[in-house]
Amino acid sequence: MSECNHKWEMVDIRHGYLVIEGCPKCGGRSAFFSTEAIAPIDEYQEGDHRWIYLGSYQATKFNFRCIECGKLVELGDMMGLMMSTCDDPECKVVKIGRQAGRNTWVYVALCADSTHASGKCVSDEGIRALNEYFNQNISVPGKRILVVPCSLCCSIDRCDGIVIADTGLTEIY
Amino acid sequence: MKLSELVEKAEVKAINDYKDKDFEGVYISDMVSDIITGAKANNLLVTLQTHKSLIASANLVDVAAIVFVKGKMPAQDVIDLSNKAGIALFVSPVDTWSMALKLFNMGVK
Repeated sequence: MSECNHKWEMVDIRHGYLVIEGCPKCGGRSAFFSTEAIAPIDEYQEGDHRWIYLGSYQATKFNFRCIECGKLVELGDMMGLMMSTCDDPECKVVKIGRQAGRNTWVYVALCADSTHASGKCVSDEGIRALNEYFNQNISVPGKRILVVPCSLCCSIDRCDGIVIADTGLTEIY
Repeated sequence: MKLSELVEKAEVKAINDYKDKDFEGVYISDMVSDIITGAKANNLLVTLQTHKSLIASANLVDVAAIVFVKGKMPAQDVIDLSNKAGIALFVSPVDTWSMALKLFNMGVK
C-alpha cells in the first residue's frame, strides 16, 4: 500500500468528441471518445446490441499523475461528469449527498455503458483520484466536492443532473 | 486582487450578491469541457457562455468569479445556482479581448 499523500495533476489531456450511441432493443446507451477530426457516425451489431449513432459533442479526456510519487491513474473508463441535482429519495446518489451535508456538491462520473451489463463502471481508483484532485485546492472553507460512479444512479436516463458537456449550450434547457 | 477592485477598475457590473475576496489569475474559455481541465481554483473566469453547465464546471474547479462579456446575461436559474455555489457573477459590455487587456493593464497575471 502506497504511503504517498498524493498531489494530483491533470495529464494526457486530449481533445476530441464524445460519441453517444443507443440500442433500440434494450434502451441502453453507449459512449466512446474519438480524437478523429470528424466524429464517426456508424451503425453496427455487437452481440445482442444494435448500436445506432445518437449524437456527439466536443469533449476532453484526461488522466491524473501524482507529482510526488509519479503514480498514474488512467481515466479511460470515464466519459464525463455530471453535477447531481436529482431529488429521487430512492436514488443512492441523493442519499449519499444528503449524508455528506449541505456544503458538499455531488458529481457523478459517467462511464461508457449506461446498462452496466458488464458490471463495470468508473474504477474505484479513478473515483478516489477524482475526489482527491477536485478537493485538493478548494479555497472556500467547508466546501467539498464528492464524485461518485454512475452505477449508483437510480437510472442514468432519469437521474437529474447537469452534464458538463459542450452540447446544446446555445439552446434553452 | 479583490473582486471589489475588479468592479471599480474593470467597470464590470455585479449581478448577484458576492463576498469580497481575492481572486488569483484569469482563465478565458467558452467551452465547459475546457474549463474543467484549464481553469484553476480561485481563478476569474471570462466567458461568453451563459448555460447552466458553465456553473457546474466552474463550481467543480472552484472558480472565484465569472465575468460575462459583450453584455451577455445569464438566466435567473443560472444566477440562482451561482448563488448556491458562492460564485460571484459580473457582466461587462466589452468583448473578450478588451476584457483581457483591461485585466492585464490592471496588473492581473
